Amino acid sequence: MAGLTAAVRLAEAGLRVVTVAKGYGSLRLSPATIDILGYCPDRVDSPAQALPGFAETHPEHPYALISPAMLAMSVQWLKEHVDTYTYVGDPSANMLLPTAIGVPRPSAVVPETMAGGDVRDAGPVVIAGLGVLKDFHPTLAAENLQAATTAYGRAVAARPVLLNPPADGQADVGALALARRFEDAAFRGAVAAELRAAVRGDEAIGLPAVLGIDQARSVWTELQQAVGRPVFEIPTAVPPSVPGMRLARALQDRLRRAGGRFVLGAQATGPELRNGKLVGVRIRSAARQTPRMCRWLVLATGGLASGDIEVDVSGSVSEQALGLPVHAPGPGEIGFLPSYLGDHPMETAGLRVDRSLRPVGPDGEPVYPNVYAAGAVIGGARPWREKSGDGISLSTGYLAADAILKEAG
Amino acid sequence: MTPAAISHPSAAGQPGLAGSADGRIECEVLVLGGGSTGVGVARDAAMRGFSTVLVERGDLATGTTGRFHGLLHSGGRYAVKDPQAARECIAENIVLRRIAADCIEDTGGLFVTTPIDDPDYADRFIKGCQDTGIPVEEIPVAEALRREPRLNRRITRALVVPDGTIDAWKTVWTCARSATEYGARILPYHEVIAVTSDGDQVTGIVACGPDGEQVQIRAQVTVNATGAWAGRIAAMAGCRVDIRPGKGIMLATNHRLVQTVVNRCDMPADGDILVPVRTVSVIGTTDIAVPDPDDWAITRAEIDQMLEAGENLVPGFAAARALRVWGGVRPLFQDHAPAETRDVTRAHAVLDHRARDGVGAFLTITGGKFCTLRLMAQDTVDAVCKVLGVTRPCRTADEPLPDSQHRRFYQLGSRLAERERTLLDEQLICECELVGRGRLEEEMTRRPSPSLDDLRRALRLGMGPCQGGFCTYRATGIMHQTKRLSAAEADRALIAFLEERWKGVHPLLHGDQLRQAWLDNWIFQGVLDVEHLPVAAPAQQQESATGHAT
Repeated sequence: MAGLTAAVRLAEAGLRVVTVAKGYGSLRLSPATIDILGYCPDRVDSPAQALPGFAETHPEHPYALISPAMLAMSVQWLKEHVDTYTYVGDPSANMLLPTAIGVPRPSAVVPETMAGGDVRDAGPVVIAGLGVLKDFHPTLAAENLQAATTAYGRAVAARPVLLNPPADGQADVGALALARRFEDAAFRGAVAAELRAAVRGDEAIGLPAVLGIDQARSVWTELQQAVGRPVFEIPTAVPPSVPGMRLARALQDRLRRAGGRFVLGAQATGPELRNGKLVGVRIRSAARQTPRMCRWLVLATGGLASGDIEVDVSGSVSEQALGLPVHAPGPGEIGFLPSYLGDHPMETAGLRVDRSLRPVGPDGEPVYPNVYAAGAVIGGARPWREKSGDGISLSTGYLAADAILKEAG
Repeated sequence: MTPAAISHPSAAGQPGLAGSADGRIECEVLVLGGGSTGVGVARDAAMRGFSTVLVERGDLATGTTGRFHGLLHSGGRYAVKDPQAARECIAENIVLRRIAADCIEDTGGLFVTTPIDDPDYADRFIKGCQDTGIPVEEIPVAEALRREPRLNRRITRALVVPDGTIDAWKTVWTCARSATEYGARILPYHEVIAVTSDGDQVTGIVACGPDGEQVQIRAQVTVNATGAWAGRIAAMAGCRVDIRPGKGIMLATNHRLVQTVVNRCDMPADGDILVPVRTVSVIGTTDIAVPDPDDWAITRAEIDQMLEAGENLVPGFAAARALRVWGGVRPLFQDHAPAETRDVTRAHAVLDHRARDGVGAFLTITGGKFCTLRLMAQDTVDAVCKVLGVTRPCRTADEPLPDSQHRRFYQLGSRLAERERTLLDEQLICECELVGRGRLEEEMTRRPSPSLDDLRRALRLGMGPCQGGFCTYRATGIMHQTKRLSAAEADRALIAFLEERWKGVHPLLHGDQLRQAWLDNWIFQGVLDVEHLPVAAPAQQQESATGHAT
């Protein structure tokens, strides 16, 4: 998310951009909701209002470097750059979208296909699962959702239904395969017929987020028309994430159209230096290691989850691509607490950066004047707990591009 | 195959037992403790026609039994140091291969002289094996390295013995099933709160059931088979049993680094066994006296010690993906306890408390080890017969356990073979351990408890590289439907399982397993937001109330 945001923005500004990636990255695992700030630690109603105070109490958090205006611009930018379907919402208010286990989860900017699930003003809903999809359990989701209340203090009326459209005799169909089936009109028609029979009165219908991959907008629109009721998607949690793949494809497509390149299967293994200045990065691809020269480098390699930040068996933490200094608990220090839901010190491991997002050393000075960090490689956040992951990635990716564009003049 | 009718307190009484509608049960033999020893005793007693009841405070095999490395000893480990234990091991190894084939993988075992071992020990080892009847064969080092290419290439000798691996949970559960088929009643989640007596005779116990209800059980003989906890139970009857709880830790890697059990050829020491069990390799173990079998922790120094020991056997071990670490507490018994627990005999003892403490109808079986569970049960039930003044022969050495009648050993690929037959017809719920939905639902309907951890022990659910990351949500959703749980019960089960899995993961989290943990965090917290489920703070499950890991 961070890397593609920066890359598209820079390419559209006329710079020659190459994105090198070891793998597809975590965007394809993400629910593709732009979560800005959901909890700190109580539930946040308005990220825009909460962020200035949050930045003050969390000076090492990436959001301490993002102004409200910058955040708003990045959100607007994303909305304009995903053209396969529409993103709705803004940082002024969190929606509360049901998760696949039925928790109303705060998120500010979401695909239009999901927004109808917002429980703040929810009427009765039916949560519809598909028998062949093991990663979505409507009965549990609906029952948990009943414990939620709307903004008007009403309990959410939710009930489950399980659909069994024809699946070619297969019992186990994954999210992506189902998404492809939904692009087939006959399959969609069978689902719509089951839904029409199951839905009562003014119920809205929550389905797992598998309603098409390349034609998500038309699948969603046509399904609503065929059933005659509003339909909303609920992200599935086990990879892959269909909405995440849609968003990744949309941004990659924008990069291609802007003249940028995307090289997959290429791992950054170290800086290419001339007289102490970074002039490129060494890339390992297939069996070869070659330098790739660049004037500016955006490091959007992800954090501990992606492997760019690594903890070895002795407990020492390092950044793999450039060998940048990492702020994290060291060997012999406590990284993890015994309780799963504890605040583990290792969660905030990552780079420290200056106001332009340049990674800094212990002296607070940038390690390289032309290297910028974006996304989860920057430390200081607990993104899954805060519900801030793609918000941080989008806004820091946007800001990193901004900083380079200023330099480029 | 008949599903085991593991009784819930509300279930009807078994034939031969007085019913329990009013919370009272009468039987001839009452067994305390649902580990390998207790379940073995219950099966033996039931097979000899005694009406039998077993109580266990948690689920079966959640104490020491479910926390060992899975090694089916040939006896080689004790051949020099403890010949009595060695003889028992090899005899029972042969019996278990006959009666519990489905629980055993016939990996074979190697004793290898590594650079840190006494080079002369191998000759003493060979003599020890010969003296105790353990088949032993020396093979050239080159042949050992051909069989196990990852082994330390600087080994100087290699000796083959009939070690194997054995699935503790499968053994205990099939034993329990067999016992119930013979009329025994197995009551998990029943904790002993008092031992009752009449004069100098123990008459049974009062137990606290899963819903806090009290159950009174009267028995003609009560057998204390509570392992490391035997001292505590004996004290309730006014008897003294000195158990030295000896903690051992074990560490699992995400795949099999060796295909044969590999032992260091030297006097038993820490971290000298590497066991390929199911899909993982387990290195063990340590031996540290602990004051309380319920209260101990795993230290970083112990983990480092295991990694270093692994490195000696299989260079590169420390860089392998380490899944998890856990510990178990051995029930080492000796009347006059020595300082070093490793010096205590691994043989078992049946104590008749009439002779020792003047308390009748009360026996304690203690010491021993998993591999001798059947022999321990035989000796115990022989003592029961003596107390009751009857003679009934033991038949457990000849009658196979359920699922083992065909006498074919478990093979690593058997789940995959089963899976391939049902590839399109059944959902795969746990990809790591190849657990299909049918098996999962069947196991859920069998069990009284809404615990994913109990399902884990039965099916290995969540025990693979992702440590429950992918299967936990699925299994919770399925359990919610299958067992007709409330959402709150299902949510509690999910949170408890995440907490339980974390216990064995966090002490050694690094490298790729840390990446996995972060992905799991995204799944559960980032996307599902489980920390904001309606249920409050997770209820502590009994088996996970202490600080250690499985």
